[in-house]
Amino acid sequence: METPHPTNKIALPDFLSRLAHGRDSAQRIFILVTVIPLILYMAFWTLFPMVWGLALAFFDYSSRRAGGAFLGLGAENPFIGLQNFIDMFNFQPDAPLQVRQFHSSLKTTLLFAFLVLPLNLSITLPLSVLIENTHERLKGVFRTFFFLPVLAPSVGVAIMWGYIYHPQRGLLNGIRTLIGGKLVATNWIGDTSLFFLGIPVALLAIIFAYLWQDLGYNLVIFIAALQNIPESIKDAARIDGVNRWQMFRHITLPLLKPTILLTSVFTMISSFQVFDIIQVITSGRPDDNVRVLVYDIFENAFRYQRMGWASAVSVVLFILVLAISIIQTRLLKTEWEY
Amino acid sequence: MIKKIVFTSICLIIVFSLLLSGCAQSSAPVEPKTEAEQPQAEEPSDKPVTLRVWTHQNDAFNEGYQMIADAYMAENPNVTINFETFDYDTYIQTLQTSLPAGTEADILQMFGSWVCSYASGGNLAETPPSVFSLEQAMSDVYSAQIAGYICEEKLFGVPQEFNIEYGAALVNTRLAEKAGISDISSGWADWDAFIADAKKLAVTQDGVMTRSGYNYTGSDGTAATFYSLILQYGGQYLTDDGFKVNTSEGKKALELMKRFVDEGLNDPLLFNDEQNWVGDSFFEETSAIGLVGPWVIPEYSTDFKDVLEHTQYINLPSISTDPVFIASSGWGLTVSANSPNQEVAWDFVSFATLNSAQSIKWNLASGTLPALKANATGASKEQLIAEFPYFEPFLNILEFGAHEGQFPDRDLVWYEITYPRILDFLQGNTSLDETLETIEREVSETF
Repeated sequence: METPHPTNKIALPDFLSRLAHGRDSAQRIFILVTVIPLILYMAFWTLFPMVWGLALAFFDYSSRRAGGAFLGLGAENPFIGLQNFIDMFNFQPDAPLQVRQFHSSLKTTLLFAFLVLPLNLSITLPLSVLIENTHERLKGVFRTFFFLPVLAPSVGVAIMWGYIYHPQRGLLNGIRTLIGGKLVATNWIGDTSLFFLGIPVALLAIIFAYLWQDLGYNLVIFIAALQNIPESIKDAARIDGVNRWQMFRHITLPLLKPTILLTSVFTMISSFQVFDIIQVITSGRPDDNVRVLVYDIFENAFRYQRMGWASAVSVVLFILVLAISIIQTRLLKTEWEY
Repeated sequence: MIKKIVFTSICLIIVFSLLLSGCAQSSAPVEPKTEAEQPQAEEPSDKPVTLRVWTHQNDAFNEGYQMIADAYMAENPNVTINFETFDYDTYIQTLQTSLPAGTEADILQMFGSWVCSYASGGNLAETPPSVFSLEQAMSDVYSAQIAGYICEEKLFGVPQEFNIEYGAALVNTRLAEKAGISDISSGWADWDAFIADAKKLAVTQDGVMTRSGYNYTGSDGTAATFYSLILQYGGQYLTDDGFKVNTSEGKKALELMKRFVDEGLNDPLLFNDEQNWVGDSFFEETSAIGLVGPWVIPEYSTDFKDVLEHTQYINLPSISTDPVFIASSGWGLTVSANSPNQEVAWDFVSFATLNSAQSIKWNLASGTLPALKANATGASKEQLIAEFPYFEPFLNILEFGAHEGQFPDRDLVWYEITYPRILDFLQGNTSLDETLETIEREVSETF
């Protein structure tokens, strides 16, 4: 009996008929029964919101206003085409507040992501090698120790760091007061005049707190990758007389390239999406120095009901993350596996 | 082929989802509903009715609501009132998304400054004249409080409180006595006298302010001070030519606010909304005088009884003869245009807001001042002062309250523009002229 192969020209009734009959019908029905619920789920919870979000970017939409009959679009929520995106290129000092806040949010987000990524990798990579070289019994202890903050709820972590940075009651200033013997009340989060190498100190404080919580992810991934490097390659290198640094530089690091790519992309994406820690510690203030894109989207969409503008900013964020992920993938692509 | 079918299915599903969502939003109103279009409530009967009431989370407010609901349910055994509460930020978001979708409760607690933005979308029911006519409302309620509830000459809901953030400040009399100020309860004749006392109350160690003499740099306090002082200096910020603060009165207002910093009364870097918020700071005794409304008293009364014993509200000095101040239209109750139980809902709203005994009960529980003039004068005033002495200095100045004005988005004006720009100025990061120019331009953009 010939196996029925669907062709490009098959008609729907034929296809349904073949589904119900023939040797592979059960398999096909099984595939459809298992895939359709997922497609439905994806369509309703992922595709529709994405399409809806994209559509709103072309409207001056606010759910407070009375819109047209179809999804509230039109009428007082008019179609404005690319106006939201055109407005984003208004760099005049007297540009509308939302535009200037978008610019500062974009700058802060890029600064945040491009500081977090190298800092994260420069800490987690060497640390994972160190942990991997410790005694077998200690490895688990260190892994747990560094992974625990990842398990803590972000809001709790933010509240804790908020206390650490508090100008009068904070741990950080408390230690400085103890050491200096003089009361110190630096406002790490609230003083907009504090900069370090041109970077707002408030942002650096947030980055420090963020790194503290986020390090564990990459650390565990790197440890797992290190354990997968075949001993035979290392043995061969040892026979060739490489020292520890040469082993790390010429063997470990190149073999970790796919893992570095993975962690870079993940870290970059999560950095672009940072929100909760900033919302809890600073509420986007002071002076928009720590206002990031996701916070800007949240404020515009849910506080001030500028849904159209918020959607346009979301589209920019999406394009940004996509572009940076593609660039990272190209730069760190390897042609081989081990 | 399968690919084609799957693709077609996805397209169909998306279109179907859009249509479904369209159906779900079909109740999204295009025009405010007229009385005739609004769901007609059934005649009051013994038929069981369940009313859903949405409020924001504030224990003192909600205890007050529950007391009123209990009293109403005792009188109307066929009515069940269920409260659903949300924390403040979630409440704003829930209102913004639920009202257009028509999934809101029958009765909605609403801040007066928000009412017109929802009423203009047709989401709120107009107050039936049989409950409270517009004319009655304008004569019976303080103008600053009813203004927010009147949209295009129609009344939507009934205010419950006189929202006040200026005019009197919390004073810690124990700290005052320790600082050698024995007569602080008698008040201050002018700002010089105030500054002299507040200066004595401020404590600085190693150049760091450990106690603020006058903590006025919370977001509400900052905005309320600025706009009230403009009025006291004889200016207006909402004029026929638009929003104007870059004026001589605006300059004088900011100069006085800066003087409080320059004279060492307050360090706005350490005392603001984000650090040492005025309510927390006052009751933790890191602020000796704090600018915040009386609603904080019930909030802190359980945990800070000791401080409360030495706490008093004292009127702030006024530049003008009359102590004019600006006020937002405060919390009140509105009824959803989609409620199928509108008549019962209005009956409860009337019971809670216009019944003198019930509305006073709520004001006392929530630590808020009455919106109804009758409840703030005569015997009611005496009752309020006897049961909640903190009200007294406010009750003496309510008549001088002016509505803050109709802004398209009042929260944006107060919290995203006025407060951060003035705080920046007080912290020494921007100049006075730059601050006024920025506020004027940014607020004007919101219209």
